[in-house]
Order: sequence, then C-alpha cells, then structure tokens
Amino acid sequence: MKKRKWNGYLIAGAIITTIIVVWILVGRFYTPYPPTKMSSARLQGPSLAHLFGTDKFGRDIFSRVMQGSGTTLMIAALTILIGAGIGTIVGSITGYFGGIADEVLMRFNDALTAFPSILLALVIISILGSGKHNVIIALGIVFIPSYARMMRTAFAAQREVNYITSARLMGASSARILMVHMLPNTIHVLLPALTIGFNNAVLAEASMSFLGIGVTPPDVSMGYMLSEAQGMFRSAPWYALSVGGVIALLVFGVSLIGEGIQRMNKEVD
Amino acid sequence: MKKRILAGILAVSMVGALLTGCGKGASQSADAAPAAGTEEAAEAADGTETATTERAQANEIVIGIAQDLDQSLDPHYAVAAGTKEVMFNVFEGLVKYDPNGDTIPAVASEVEVSDDGLVYTFTLRDGVKFHNGDNVDLDDVIYSIQRCKDDPKVNPQTSTGLQCIESLEKDGDNKLVMTLSEPNTELMSLLTLAILPADYDKQDTAPIGTGPYKYIGRTAQESVELERFADYWGTPANIDKVTYKVNEKAEGLIMGLESGALDLVSHLSSTQVAELNKDDFNIEQGTMNLVQALYLNNEAAPFDNELVRQALCYAVDRQGILDMAFDGYGFLIGSNVFPAFTKYFDESLTDYYTLETPEAGKEKAKELLAEAGYPNGFDMVITVPSNYAPHCDTAEVIAEQLKEVGINATLKKVEWESWVSDTYAGRNFQATVIGLTADPLTARSLLERFTTAQRVEDAEGNRGNNFINYNNADYDALFEKAVKTYDDEEQTKIYKEMEKNLTEHAASVYIQDMADMVAVRKGLSGLTFYPLYVLDVSTLKWN
Amino acid sequence: MKYVVRRILALIITMIMVSFLAFAAFHIISGDPARAILGMNATESQLKVLRQEMGLDKPFMVQYLNWLIGFFTGNLGISYSYRQPVSELIAPKLKVTLLMVLISFVIIIVCSVPLGLRAAQKSRGRLEWLRTTIIQLCMAVPAFFLSILVSYVFGIIFKFFTPGDFPKIEKDLAGAVKYLFFAAVCIAIPRIAMAVRMLKSTLIEEMEKDYVRTAISRGNDRTEVLKKHVLKNSLVPTITFLGQTMAEIVGGSIVVEQVFGIPGMGRFLVASISNRDYPVVEALVVILAFWVILSGTLADLINQKIDPRLKLGGRA
Repeated sequence: MKKRKWNGYLIAGAIITTIIVVWILVGRFYTPYPPTKMSSARLQGPSLAHLFGTDKFGRDIFSRVMQGSGTTLMIAALTILIGAGIGTIVGSITGYFGGIADEVLMRFNDALTAFPSILLALVIISILGSGKHNVIIALGIVFIPSYARMMRTAFAAQREVNYITSARLMGASSARILMVHMLPNTIHVLLPALTIGFNNAVLAEASMSFLGIGVTPPDVSMGYMLSEAQGMFRSAPWYALSVGGVIALLVFGVSLIGEGIQRMNKEVD
Repeated sequence: MKKRILAGILAVSMVGALLTGCGKGASQSADAAPAAGTEEAAEAADGTETATTERAQANEIVIGIAQDLDQSLDPHYAVAAGTKEVMFNVFEGLVKYDPNGDTIPAVASEVEVSDDGLVYTFTLRDGVKFHNGDNVDLDDVIYSIQRCKDDPKVNPQTSTGLQCIESLEKDGDNKLVMTLSEPNTELMSLLTLAILPADYDKQDTAPIGTGPYKYIGRTAQESVELERFADYWGTPANIDKVTYKVNEKAEGLIMGLESGALDLVSHLSSTQVAELNKDDFNIEQGTMNLVQALYLNNEAAPFDNELVRQALCYAVDRQGILDMAFDGYGFLIGSNVFPAFTKYFDESLTDYYTLETPEAGKEKAKELLAEAGYPNGFDMVITVPSNYAPHCDTAEVIAEQLKEVGINATLKKVEWESWVSDTYAGRNFQATVIGLTADPLTARSLLERFTTAQRVEDAEGNRGNNFINYNNADYDALFEKAVKTYDDEEQTKIYKEMEKNLTEHAASVYIQDMADMVAVRKGLSGLTFYPLYVLDVSTLKWN
Repeated sequence: MKYVVRRILALIITMIMVSFLAFAAFHIISGDPARAILGMNATESQLKVLRQEMGLDKPFMVQYLNWLIGFFTGNLGISYSYRQPVSELIAPKLKVTLLMVLISFVIIIVCSVPLGLRAAQKSRGRLEWLRTTIIQLCMAVPAFFLSILVSYVFGIIFKFFTPGDFPKIEKDLAGAVKYLFFAAVCIAIPRIAMAVRMLKSTLIEEMEKDYVRTAISRGNDRTEVLKKHVLKNSLVPTITFLGQTMAEIVGGSIVVEQVFGIPGMGRFLVASISNRDYPVVEALVVILAFWVILSGTLADLINQKIDPRLKLGGRA
C-alpha cells in the first residue's frame, strides 16, 4: 500500500516524460507542417488546422514546439552530461585525495560558483559564438561547480569507510577504487541531482535565449520561442501559454521522477 | 495562521493564473480573482487616467527610449543615434533642419553666399541665449566650428567635410565671414553642428546649448530630464518638462505605455504596435530614414562573384519580407539611399531585380547560381546584431526565402558591441542585415563609404567605412568627379549614377527604409517627422 | 576562532580569483570598449587616443594590478559609459536590488516555514500528492515567464502597480516597496517551493529518528515534539538552505529586473556587459561574488554556533 503510493510520483513522472519524449521523437521524423515554413496565415489563434495557432511568420507553433522541445531536451541532457561528468571527475579526485589539489580546485570551484553564471555564459558564448552547440558547452561549464562540490562530499564521506581502506590495503589502484568501489555508492546522490540539474538546464537555456544569447534560427528552442512570445502576450497569448505550458510540463515530469527516486531511496534506506 | 492561508492562496492563485491564463480556475481564489479584478480594473483605469491627466495638467511628458545616452553628452563627440535624437532638442547650429530636411537659419539669422561659392557671410541672430543665460557671440560660433574642424574626437565625417574652411573672421560684432578653399555643396548640412559656449569644459556631463530645451540631469540606465528653456529665441516649446525613461527591452516599453508610465515611444514595429490598446494611443507613421539591406562582404567567397550577388538580389523577395515581418509597412529601395532623401533617391532602381513574380525571381537566381558555378547552392552565415529585432526578423525571412534556391543560410546573432568591432570594423562576416543612416544628412555620407579609399588602409593604418569591401573602379572615378563638381544639379546627377552603379553590380541586397511607428498617448499632439533620426519635442503639446 | 579566520581568508582569496577571472574574461570577450564609446565611424587614431586615456594600452597584468590596488584603496575607478565614479553609479542600484532581495527573502521565510511545517505534519494525509504536485509545478515555471505573467496580470489588468514607473526609493519608499513586492514574489515562488520541499523532507527524516519515535510513543504530543526537538535539530540544514537562497535570489534578480524594468544591479550588469563598461562590471561582479560567498560563510558560521560538532567536519 505504502510502496505503491510512493511510486506514484515515479509512475506519473515517467508517463508524462515518456509521452513528451515520444512526441519529441515523432517530431524528428514527422511534423504536421515543416517547422520553418512561413505562410501568410500569421498570428492565428488555435484551430484544428493549427492546434497551438501560428506565430508572427505564420509558422505552425505545434510543429515548432515539437521540434523546439527536441532541441531543448537535447541541450538540457547534454548539459548535465558535461556538468555532471566533469563535476564527478573533479569531485572524485578532490574528495578522494584531498590535500593541496583539493584546496586549490575547491577554491577555484568557489570562484566559479560565485561568478555570476550569466556572465560566465556570456563570456563563453562570445568566445565560441552563438548556436546550440555552444550553448551546451557554456551551460555545461556553468553546471560543473555544483556537481563537483556535491560529488566531492559524497566521495569524501566514503574515504575512510572500512571496505575502501581494505581495498586500498589489498593494493587496488586508486582509479579502480574510485570507479568500481566508490562511484556506485554515490548514485543515490547523483540521480536526484541529475533530475534537478536537468530542470535547471531547461530553465537556464530559456533565460539565455531570453537575454538573446541562446540558440539561433533556423534552430529553435523552447527558450527562444518563449522570449519571442513575450512580446506578443496580448495579441497572441496562445503562443506564450502553449510554449510555457510544454516547458512546464517537461520540467514537471522530470522533477516528478526525481521526487519518485528520492522516495524510493528513502524506502530502501 | 492567517499568514499561512495568505501564502497558500498566493501560491494557489499563481498556479491558477499560470495554468489557465487567469481565467476559469478551479480553485476558490482563482474564481474570486476575476470578479474582484473587474472592479479593480475599472477603478484603476481611472487611476491611470488621473496619472496622465496629472501629467497633462502639469504640462509634462514621459518618453520611452530603448538606449541610454552616450557617455559624453558633448554634441560634437556624440556618436549614438539615440543620443542625437534626444539632444536634438537641446542644441542648434548656425542653421538647423526643418521637417523637410532642408536647412533653415537658427543661431544665424541670415546667410549670404558669394557667387563663386567661396565666401559665406553669416549674420548672428539678435538675442540668442545659452541655457546658462549668456548671450551667444561670435567667439562662441568660431570656437564651435573650429573645434569640429580640428578636434580629433569629432565624428570624422563632419571634420573631413569642414576641412575646406580656410578662415573664419569677424566682421563687426554680429557678422561672421567664412572663406572656403573650394566650394562645398554640403556645407550647410555640416553647419547644423551645435553652437556651444566657448571654452566651457563641462559639456560632457552638463551640456549647454541654445535649443528650446535645456538639460537638467540624468540617472544612469534610468532617465534623462529636460526642461523648457524660457529664453529661447524662437517659438517656445509647449511642454514644460520632458523625462526620457530608458528601457532596453522593447516589451518593457510597450508595457510602460499600457500601464500609463509612458506617453510616447518611437521606433516601434507593427507587431509591437498591435499590442497596444487603440483607445489610448494614436499611432503615427513616419520613416526610420535608413537603408536596410542584406550587406554582402564583397571579398568573402562566394560573394566576391558578382553573379552570386545578383542571384541573391533576384532570390530575395523584398515585398515578401515587408509582408511577413513588417505587416506590409516599409518603403522598398534599390540602392544605398532612402526614399525620404528625395533629392538623391532614384525610384527607378527600386525594382531593378524584381521580376513579375517571386517565383520568376527564384528561377532567374538559380540560373545565375548555376552560371556562377553553384548549381546546388551553398551554405552561408548571416550575422545580425541580436538587439535589433527588425533586422533579426528580416534575416530570418531571408534565410527561409534563400532555401528555395538551394542556399542554406544560418543566422549568427551577436551582441551589438561585437557586431561593431568584429563585423563592421573587423569586416569578419559573409553577410549581415543592418540599417545605415546618413549623418550628416548628405549624399556623400551615404555613398562615399563604398569607395576604394574607404576600403583599404591608409598610411596610419586606418580603415574607412567600406565594410562590405565594395571594389569598383568606375565607382571610385564617379566619386572623384562628384566631389570636384560644384554645380548642385550636375553633382546630384553623378551621385545618382553612383547609386546605379551599386545596384547594377549588386553591391548588396537593398531592402527597404523601415516604417517608424510612434505611439502617442491620446491628448498629445503636434508630432513632427524629420528625414533624420530625431524626435522634436518642442512641437508636442497636450490638448 | 581559528576556523573563522580560515573562512575569512578563504573568502578573500576566492574574491581575488573572481575579480581576476572577470578581468580575464573581458580580455577574451569580443568587443572593444574604446569602439563601444566611439561607435561605428571611429578611426584608428581616435581609438588609439582613447585607449591611452583609459589605460587600455597597458599590458593585461598591469591593468589588473592597477585595478586591484584601486579596489583596496577604495577607488573603484571611473565608468567608461558614464564618466562618473563607479561607486556613485552603483550605490543607488545596489540599494534597489538589496531591498528587493530583502523583501523576497522575507516572503520566502514567512511562506515556507509554516507551509513546510504543515507539509511535514500532514505528510501522510490524503492531499499529500496534491501538495507535492503544486510544489513541483511551482519549481517548473521559468522565473521570467512568471514575471511576464505577474507584471501583465497585476500591472496591466489589475493595475496594482505601474510597470515601467519605478518610484525613486528616496522619494517614495512605500511605492517602491509595493512595486518591488511583485517582482520579489516572482523570485520567491520557486524558492518557496524548494524550501517547503526541503523543510518537509528534513523534518520527516528527523521525526523518523529513534528519539522522536520514543518521545511520541511515550505519549508526548506530536506537535509538541515537533516544535521542541525536531525543529531545533532541523535548523542546521535549513540555515544552509537559506544561505544558498540568499545567494541564488541575487542571481535570479537579473532576469526579473529586466522584465519589471527595475533599475537594479542585475539590469545594470547586463547593460554594462553589453556596453563593455568594464570598471562597472568588474565592481558588480566582485559585489555579487562577495554576496554569494558571504551568504555561504555566514550560514556555516551560524551553524557552527548551533552545532559545534560541525567544526570537525571542515567545510560542509
């Protein structure tokens, strides 16, 4: 009884996310209209022909959202892959070895954390140029420090645990200890952090596009569309609402999964 | 307990508002909101009205601007169009522009020109005062002109033009004799330069001029304040106090208009205007007075090939751009002059590359591309400054149109400062969409930039303004001839030939002069358009 | 005491690193401040003169050291875009942002503590799923989307405040607070959701500990136990969270200030970055970094006082 209730979040989240992901995948192969096709039917409200209406260039918003959420999903996924990947490496090294390297890397980490992330993103974008790939790199870098800090704590906590000490005494290499013995034990910290990170990445991409440093046409992302929709809130409210709604739904689905995982962990504990 | 409930309601109503657009929410509080809201709204509508009536009674207005003023308010150093737009109300020259773009006497009351066009005699107007109360005398005038001619910090287009002045001499205490080394048909436009008090060293931060408004102060990134100058020599302004509010987001400006915070905003697009409630605002339409084009880097492949450039001219459906991105507003052009500059505008060039239908244009473009060796098209990058939404929109539509002839264009949005240093000054681009203005308002300032002299580096390593690297010997020869021609009619003819040269060789894809929509709160009248990027506040008044 | 000294030392080192990073960033970022001032028609000789005037022709390290020395002697330099001392320019913006952050912080505490307590108490209730769902939804909304909705609904439709007409704090404090309240709510909502979630799980975790179970099984009132013991023991993670919140709402204010047209630090930062007004950006970055690090340090130090055991664990 109890268990089923706790997994309800996981199930609901998985259902919502799966529906959206399937929808996005379909969007890779089929959209009702070509997403960049302009037409003279501009700024039309939702109808059967255009479920979400059309935008200022007469493009079908439904098709664009299908494609745009794909871009957003990819940006967010790759961003946390970079952020969590490098963050885990840095965190494991500093957490396991400690000492000077730990001190220096963590000071640098602090500095990066304290550095306004928007400026950091702007600097990276202005070096690399705009476009979705560079947005991924920029956001990935912005996301490293928080993962590094978290993973450092997770690894440091295990440093003096008995089985790690014995593995060390048995002559296991540091790399082996880190990868085989310690990493699996950090999963319960990492997984929920990944879902939160995913959501932060979606929202960060939106903020970047809002400030004009996000993806560039013909690519389209949810953030880009949302910032575009802001200027037409009165004449085309459906634009902002449908895009905002899909973003919120995507983030909502993933965070439900996160919630579910956390509850399951607790159950196991 | 109470707080908790309040917080709960707050959270719930926010979610409700979010999901349903504050409509038919299921929760109690969201239901209650619209009912209370209508009452509030009615009440508040009165509130806004009072706020604006209050301003009308106090005879004040608040104008929204998208860009804060330059670091230096000194009119001779000012570079940003936005700064000049505001300061137009504070400064005047010996002559000034009228709404037709012609020069009329201002600080000078009369001008006499000798038959050979070499000697100009200006009579100083009686009783012209600076904002600090001092009378304008000849020393001030000579100081101001001399400064623009010699000071290296002055806009080079102005100082180069003034180099023809050989001497400035006083004749009595109200006449100025100006002798030129060679005639200059554009001198009058240059002499709209601001007359400033001699040796006043605070122009940077506390500017003083002779215009109908005096400068009061500014708050960085927030506002600029002007006040009516009571001792103005001419027709005094109507409005007592003018406040400019800065908001770099166009959406913010629109919201400011709707909320009653602002009375007037110019340079709006048709999409933005559509957001406004027509009961509260009159929309007046003028022109931006700029040349919007898809500028092509004539040295970057494949645009070093004239056929490719011509193909682009055929492929781009300019009317389609207007319809798609500007609601049909805007004025098509065919060369580097905008229509409001009637003296030099050549209408016959507008449709040089326009065929009966856009499809025919696309076919022609494909032919030319095949001929140029690109039968399957190519990839290109259009660089656009991200802060200019109209240019970004235009580029987006162009990219879509070019797809149909096999050209795959992607946009690269950059910040304005990066655009200026990398794209414009560094010339590191393939194609870019931007609008060029004329400053000063002369044909030379629009056309000189495409000469070879402006393309290559000079002895000091300076590169001129030919950022598209246009390279055409005929064009250079025509320009040489034009500046040596002192007959106005003859000169105009040569300038028009230069325009035609640009069109024929497809220097760039010339698109339009954009429509300039100004939202003016009802009750405010007297808005006057100029063929310049200015907003004359002195003619505005509350009814 | 030694711990405090160590923290403060770390703070200073981090700040210097941040300022260096920011300085280095400007040298990488494209766009030349001299050209930003002189505009499109500037000639190379004009630019050279101006660069000299601004000291931009000096080597990178010299520029940085000059700035650093200036900073420690209380001279933040002169703004490129306004020719005014940076400190004079920043002070009023700082005031606005601080006020907004303060209001937002108060809203977060006032709303999340009671809501969190209630959520923990009713964690087995029928409506638990609804509460969790609402919390998740509030976290799923982009801050600027919320800002757009709030300024439109409460500003344009209901006219509770006048978007775009932010009153000067000195002249009309009440008006300014009212205006900032709506922006503060937008910053607060996602954080409230997070705070409630955090509080709830901390409290529940604490309540499931043996001593609490024992206390309740001995017949003590559940609410009493919650208030007396559980709350106290949940204080440490809560303060850590509030420290983070303090740091993060400043970052969140950047976008919100843009939408609401509030003349605060975030908007000034964005504008100064695009104007390439480095002295201003540098100063703002250092202030922001100081704020972020200070929030964390303060939270740690307070926790230290509450629970001296934490000292052994080093940095959290």
